[in-house]
Amino acid sequence: MATLPEGTSHTQSDTAPPRVVGFLCDWAVRSEGLLNPDDTLVGMPHVTVLRVPCSGFVKPSWLELALRSGAAGTFVCGCPMGDCLNREGNWIVEDRIDQLRKRLSRQKVDPERVAFFAFGLHDREPFLRAVAEFVEKLRASGGTR
Amino acid sequence: MYRRLLSTLQSATLRLDVWIQRVLPQDFNPLYYTGGLANLFLTILVVSGILIFLYYEPSLEGAYASVEFLTRDVPYGVVFRGIHRYAADAYMVAILLHLFRNWFTDRYREARDSQWLSGMFLLVVSGFTGFTGYLLVWDERAQLLASLTVQALRSVPLVGGWLARVFLGGPGVSDTTLPRFLFLHVGPAMTLYVLLWWHYVRLRHPKIWPPAVWVLFSLGLLFILASALPAASGRPAQPGASPEGFPVDWFFLWPYVLARWLAPGWALALVAALVAYGMVIPYTVRETPEQRGLRALGQAVVVEENCTGCELCYYDCPYNAIYMVPSPYPGKSRAAANRKLLAVVVDSRCVECGICIGACPFEALELPRMLDKDVQQRIQRGAGAAAPATS
Repeated sequence: MATLPEGTSHTQSDTAPPRVVGFLCDWAVRSEGLLNPDDTLVGMPHVTVLRVPCSGFVKPSWLELALRSGAAGTFVCGCPMGDCLNREGNWIVEDRIDQLRKRLSRQKVDPERVAFFAFGLHDREPFLRAVAEFVEKLRASGGTR
Repeated sequence: MYRRLLSTLQSATLRLDVWIQRVLPQDFNPLYYTGGLANLFLTILVVSGILIFLYYEPSLEGAYASVEFLTRDVPYGVVFRGIHRYAADAYMVAILLHLFRNWFTDRYREARDSQWLSGMFLLVVSGFTGFTGYLLVWDERAQLLASLTVQALRSVPLVGGWLARVFLGGPGVSDTTLPRFLFLHVGPAMTLYVLLWWHYVRLRHPKIWPPAVWVLFSLGLLFILASALPAASGRPAQPGASPEGFPVDWFFLWPYVLARWLAPGWALALVAALVAYGMVIPYTVRETPEQRGLRALGQAVVVEENCTGCELCYYDCPYNAIYMVPSPYPGKSRAAANRKLLAVVVDSRCVECGICIGACPFEALELPRMLDKDVQQRIQRGAGAAAPATS
């Protein structure tokens, strides 16, 4: 596994909002009108969201790749815990993210840069709020990792 | 039209969850554990049923008296009887919620039809077991239910007389009738476990138990109900008596409530038609994935060169759709060169969720229309290769 080179997280200037790459389960938050054609969230051009068939589809290595390619943070949003269409996808990916966080902290990368959310079909507002808070948190912790 | 109704129902079902989650934490939502709750109540039914069985006497003269003895004279007998009675109601409510929730949230067709079919069988056998439970008390209600059932069975063409004979254990109500009813109660109850095996066989880690909070809450509720509203018999059955009406649980005995307006034979036909319709529900809506609003990414494919036989996908697949077979030839990548096993996807079970891909650290699994390299490109693009905000 490649280690993350230091100082790659924030290549942008300090005023730009930190870039975030997220994964959104098709069955979680209703995605009509949520995304621009170029995968960015409506109203948040610095947040790219890739829709996936199930949150369990997301490879931890993709989250690492996002961090390594310059994103300040990355998240996965699955269905509410217990309501996964495939029964276990969100538990499984939550587990994998926990393990990834441990690996990241061993590599001296802030594990808080990886987040996991669980929101249902009708939870668009809470989802957007959670993403905005995550971005705020990343911005507040700065780019000195 | 039907399709739009289903999607409205899905939206409403999930709206209900939003309301529940204003009160309860997400993972305590009881609607996520309807199957586990049903299994909990079934377990309670088996345990309390065995205790009741020890006191029950299956004979025309003794049945009613033995149930009364259990209720009046056995310490806590009334509580166990009440628990058996109310757990049966709760079990039925739980499996009906389970049925409708899985129907409305689109978890019943294609690769999941085996669970749906076994569930319909479980529903029928559970309903029948509950119904024969009412007969065992052998009070006036049991007598009326039995006579209505015999009428209904007799009106079945060709085999009607034979069915009625099997049901009563003889040409009419006789000394062999109550032992037959007891068998018709306990036998199907055991069949439930065979059907549950079928219900679970394609699921890895089925959620068969609710969270501890709900186990304790359900048990407590049953104890309180059984003590506050003790289950009671009607008047004892007598030959020639013609009881009029009495309170019934409509969700167990609705066909008999219908029998007030319909001939019993027609009520039976209606039940049979409903069950038959239930069995074909997964096959009624023929849609392509595009019509269902899915992206149809294709079923998971094993990249045989890279598979190391590590079994991670096999353990994570929620539908047992991945089998490990002895590797017929070595893989090409360095990690795969000495593999002993090879993963194989069973197409008929794959639901295209991609959980196996998330499990695989060796890039040995792909969804054909969402390839790893494309996702990586999109991640890199999103992660700021462009960085337009700096201008």
